[in-house]
Amino acid sequence: MNKINYFLVALLGLSFSFASAQTPKGSVLIKNATVLTVTKGTLQNTDVLVQDGIIKKVGANLSAPAGVETVDATGKYLMPGIIDAHSHVGLDVVNEATSPITSEVQMKDVVNPTEIGIYRALAGGVTVSHAMHGSANVIGGQNATLKHRWGTKNPNDIIMMDAPRTIKFALGENPTRVHGRGNGIQPRSRMGVEAVIRNGFNEAIQYQKAWADYNSASAQKGNTATAPKYNERLQTLADILDGKIIIHCHSYRADEIYMLINVARDFNISKLVFQHTNEGFKVAPEIAKYTMGASVFADWWAYKFEVYYSTAFNAAILNANGAITSINSDSAELIRHLYHEAAKTQRYGGMTDDESLAMITINPARQLGISELVGSIEEGKQGDLVIFDSHPLSVYTVPQMTFVDGVKYFDIKEDKNDQRLTVSPTEMVEDVYLHQQTERCMQDTEHLFEMAGTLFNQN
Amino acid sequence: MKRTLLKASVICMMLGGWMISSVGFAQSDPTGKKRITSSYAITNATVFTEPGKAGVKSTILIQDGVIAGVGTNLSIPKEAKLIAGDSLFIYPGFIDGASSAGITKPKDPERPENFVSSNPPDEIAGITPWRSAVDQFAMDSKVEDLRKSGFTVLQIVPEGGMIAGKAAIVVLGHETSSNLIKENTALAASFRGSRGMYPGTAAGVMAKFRDVYKNAELTKINSDKYSSVSGVKRPAIDDTFLGMKEVISKSTPVMFSASSELEIRRALKLQKELGFNLILTDLENYEGVIPEMKSAGVKILIKAEVPEDKAIKAQKEDASEDVKAQYARVKESFDKAIAQAGKLEVAGIPFSFTTVGVKSGDIGKSLKTMIDNGLSETAALAALTTNPAAMMGLSRELGTIEKGKMANLVLTTDTLFKEDSQIKHVIADGYLFDYEIKAKKKAAEAGNETKGIKIAGNWDYITESPAGSGAGVVSIKKEGNDYVGTITYDDPAGSGKATAPIKDVKLDGSSLSFAFDVNAEGMAIVVEISGTVNGVSLDGTMSVGQFGSFPFEATLTPSLTAKL
Repeated sequence: MNKINYFLVALLGLSFSFASAQTPKGSVLIKNATVLTVTKGTLQNTDVLVQDGIIKKVGANLSAPAGVETVDATGKYLMPGIIDAHSHVGLDVVNEATSPITSEVQMKDVVNPTEIGIYRALAGGVTVSHAMHGSANVIGGQNATLKHRWGTKNPNDIIMMDAPRTIKFALGENPTRVHGRGNGIQPRSRMGVEAVIRNGFNEAIQYQKAWADYNSASAQKGNTATAPKYNERLQTLADILDGKIIIHCHSYRADEIYMLINVARDFNISKLVFQHTNEGFKVAPEIAKYTMGASVFADWWAYKFEVYYSTAFNAAILNANGAITSINSDSAELIRHLYHEAAKTQRYGGMTDDESLAMITINPARQLGISELVGSIEEGKQGDLVIFDSHPLSVYTVPQMTFVDGVKYFDIKEDKNDQRLTVSPTEMVEDVYLHQQTERCMQDTEHLFEMAGTLFNQN
Repeated sequence: MKRTLLKASVICMMLGGWMISSVGFAQSDPTGKKRITSSYAITNATVFTEPGKAGVKSTILIQDGVIAGVGTNLSIPKEAKLIAGDSLFIYPGFIDGASSAGITKPKDPERPENFVSSNPPDEIAGITPWRSAVDQFAMDSKVEDLRKSGFTVLQIVPEGGMIAGKAAIVVLGHETSSNLIKENTALAASFRGSRGMYPGTAAGVMAKFRDVYKNAELTKINSDKYSSVSGVKRPAIDDTFLGMKEVISKSTPVMFSASSELEIRRALKLQKELGFNLILTDLENYEGVIPEMKSAGVKILIKAEVPEDKAIKAQKEDASEDVKAQYARVKESFDKAIAQAGKLEVAGIPFSFTTVGVKSGDIGKSLKTMIDNGLSETAALAALTTNPAAMMGLSRELGTIEKGKMANLVLTTDTLFKEDSQIKHVIADGYLFDYEIKAKKKAAEAGNETKGIKIAGNWDYITESPAGSGAGVVSIKKEGNDYVGTITYDDPAGSGKATAPIKDVKLDGSSLSFAFDVNAEGMAIVVEISGTVNGVSLDGTMSVGQFGSFPFEATLTPSLTAKL
């Protein structure tokens, strides 16, 4: 845009912010807190200054620049915003369960920034969540990494635009049940799951070649080349092969985890994270060597056959073997107290404070490819911060304030009874879900099953 | 391609038992239905030629479906039928930006034996851009209801899945005319997935829409090359490509059904990525995206409906503080919803209406609510006339009352948006349609007329609908100052009769209205009955949700009258 256009824009009062939307950036000075940096130890009586969304300074006796608000955190604890590497909060659609591969589907298309679960997550100190496609397909849709900027109705405002692309894979019972038993197509078994992945990648290689051939041929004079069919599904798989997308794979059993490691090695894929990974402890050295680690539950299992062989020591064992390990929620309820979930690794595995906290901050950040931006309190990182009234790994702790990019989105003192962003004009009482559907990995697939969901927990 | 539009005329001819070789020059008309003249002169009426213009006493001359003159000094031909317009107010005929009236969804094609739900044929997956609303349209009671509400031209939208097919524009003229004005006016699209097959969700639909669009573009490139260079492989021309051709060349816009702000944003996102021309339709909740819609320069059709005020009316005085705070939020949300149309006007966006999913009998009331909450009468009339005409590229022939334009008029008993104003005639394509005018409701003030009318007792009723005739009994009892009762009706779930309590019984003067709920295949439908009581007979209409309204006649059984 040249100068004259800028002038016209200003003159006509037009805004071009829709194209290059700026999300709010705040400034705040948090004084005298016990700062849990996670990567650089614990600093007593320390101040943290955030300016225009970025952590400018961590130190003692900082003073607030003009116009910057000061928060007195004496006696309180400050930690980096919690990151949930597995969530379905803020999505209108979770599963496009109709095909074994739906890599063309994008969760960014169906983000709903007004879902109340986002505010509840903020109230639990969670500033970033990984809004994933469900686990009905071997290769599901592309996920969205969200920053919990509550208050906007524009999905683009909560999508973390500087996060890399990620995609959902799923192994084992869910995809074989939906497609094999439900629809009578491949995959019906774990072997079929592997075949679907390998065939998909091989087709993607052929697809890439077809386009490369066409592009070079059509540059020649007098050529008779015709364009191949466009196929975003294969293009996305090709992007995975090119290292542009991080795989996040729903998995439970050690054999299938090891299977995918081998498939990834055969196709030279190194950007791979395992999700759930209940038997990860059996293949922890392999996960550590070949992948970006595992994102696990603290202590959740036995909800179906493939998750019987589980242990609460899983995270500690993975961590001890050098695998990047995070604790996730996969639940709109657990997401509100991930700090409790992280604390369980101290009870089961005796992890240090920093190791435990890393599992809900810097480790998930590394698995999402955003550890340069968030996940610890360091100068130059984005100002995603949470203030707790006592140590966040204490069972008595209560989050007080949550900041994203230096903007305060949750304050327990300003927490209204009704935080909804949208209210129906025709419903006096809207649906409230208290117990049911605490996890949504298999949401939108109900109609594909002949048997009711009661037989199987569909996690 | 068959044309169901013409079906009606064929059936008429068959019923008459006549083989008429040339309809235009038929010598006699044994049905007695042929009109005597196609010339009309409406004399000395108050004419509002276009939105924003004051009413002027004039005469309108119509000949052969065209407005032949508007003014005070017209020479009226001898064959013209005169309509005394002295007490009438005339407006341009309304244009419905998108309508599903008269549309019957085509049967789902049978699944092939080798059907795979993850990769279904386009036709089964709801991708049918080659289909035309023209093939699904017939003049039925719903179309007639719309005409009764003043609509003279409809953009009919086909029913179907994510890409349902092409819209078309029809005039609501005589049932035996070919009423088609323009075909292939827009491609109807929605975020509706196919049940149990790909694409099943809004996320899948968006991915599939990109796929269909981009592959149509590639096929275009390939077939252009095929026709100019020898030795090129034959391009894969299929029905989907043929249906998308005018869309990718941007001569046919995509009409996306998007009721909520999130859906509107999704449609805008696809438009920005792919570059098609976009019409947004079925808008219900859109206040927050007005700036985005404006800067994208898209065309807009809002639903000719306002939210029901049931939740507002159900609010109780003696509620706790918490509940009252919730009430306030619902009220705030409701007030915002009914003020949205006015906000579009303030933003300077010319919009039109869609009646898809709207009960035609309520349109007038809904527009009044919008006007009471910020929309100007001029903008409301423009949304019914000049805006849709311009959107359709038909400003030359539609939208205003001018010499040379199509003779589409609405004749009312008072200025259009006045409380008691009623539509007395509609002229569409030069055909005159008369409607009954109800006496003004003075009874409520006097209360005398009501006193003489007895409605308590058992009424035997009959109705006529396209599904056949129905019959049953309405029992009405007086309880204090209110009426209660039951109704029996043919059980939609099978044989026999079902009984339901009637509600909202209102007797105002001689007009009686009540409603009841029917559950048909899991769908809750409110049936509303209103009519005029004359002695022991009730003459009225029964309106069945969005399905249309039908005649309803009832007689009070004498034995019970005697008891009460």
